[in-house]
Amino acid sequence: MANFNLRKAEPKDVPDILRLTKELAKNEEMEDQVILTEKDLLEDGFGDHPFYHCVVADVAAEHQKVEGYSVIGFAMYYFTYDTWIGKLLYLENFYVMREYRGFGIGSEILKTLSDTAVKNRCSSMHFIVAESNKASIDFYKRRGAFDLSLQEGWRLFRIDKENLQKMSAEE
Amino acid sequence: MDFTIRAATLEDCKDISRMILELAEYEKVSDQIKITQRDLEQDGFSKNPFFHGIIAEVPEHLKSRDGHTKVGYSLYFYTYSSWKGRAVYMEDLYVMPEFRGKSIGKALMAKVSQLGLAAGCTQLNFTVLDWNKSSLDFYRKQGCWDVTSDLGYHCMRCEGDALEHLAQGDL
Repeated sequence: MANFNLRKAEPKDVPDILRLTKELAKNEEMEDQVILTEKDLLEDGFGDHPFYHCVVADVAAEHQKVEGYSVIGFAMYYFTYDTWIGKLLYLENFYVMREYRGFGIGSEILKTLSDTAVKNRCSSMHFIVAESNKASIDFYKRRGAFDLSLQEGWRLFRIDKENLQKMSAEE
Repeated sequence: MDFTIRAATLEDCKDISRMILELAEYEKVSDQIKITQRDLEQDGFSKNPFFHGIIAEVPEHLKSRDGHTKVGYSLYFYTYSSWKGRAVYMEDLYVMPEFRGKSIGKALMAKVSQLGLAAGCTQLNFTVLDWNKSSLDFYRKQGCWDVTSDLGYHCMRCEGDALEHLAQGDL
């Protein structure tokens, strides 16, 4: 099976983007963590100042393995900045439905994103991977990615809304 | 101590560049800086900025030993969590050593939090080097948690030749 099409996401793809996001989260046993709605995705991705960009992979009706779905993979990304090396492309989400794996769709998505990074004069592409996700880590390392956390000691920190509110209220 | 926190302007890029170098020296990586003052001006102050900045400034009579009144900064940008939506990423937070211990760092971070919340963000993310004990302690006191430790997420990078090969579709 080779007939798939990669294209820029459109507003009509928002329900599929949310569906695939939830599927990916389910695989990581984090489905209840997805609080984003279709309304958020529409406003945040297709308004005047998009917070993210998306590419989707779709298949023609005759190649559908799963009834009713033509959008079978996606990647969500945005541009970030490193004060040492400049513009970066950050890969937020990257997923291909299980039934469509092994056909080179993931590789093609990654190639498109890398091309986007190079064309936008980004120094590199960044993303996070769970250390337990050996298959993904191998997939990325085979393509030349390296682990900043292991090699350079960078740890990702986060403050959630409640503590953000406390901090912003301090004089 | 008497200080103000305000939005960075184009004219601040000279001091931001100076402080980026100071921060890189502190992190023992000053040879890795590729960004120039000109890059900061173009990337932060054009129509579609890749980052935003805030500056901590002291009055003239409190200036540093070298004569600087701009004594701290933070660079941040908006990102997106495919689970939770809008987020803010703090790329740099720095206060000159002779001005530390006066809550300037806390005030800078409070300002980034306020701006993030105003923009509809529900989390603030950033990275810290694992040996940077004083920073790790400071951030934990503000209510931050270590995503790398707690969830096992590693920061990954694909750059230079690896990125180019990926864009070409080489494996």
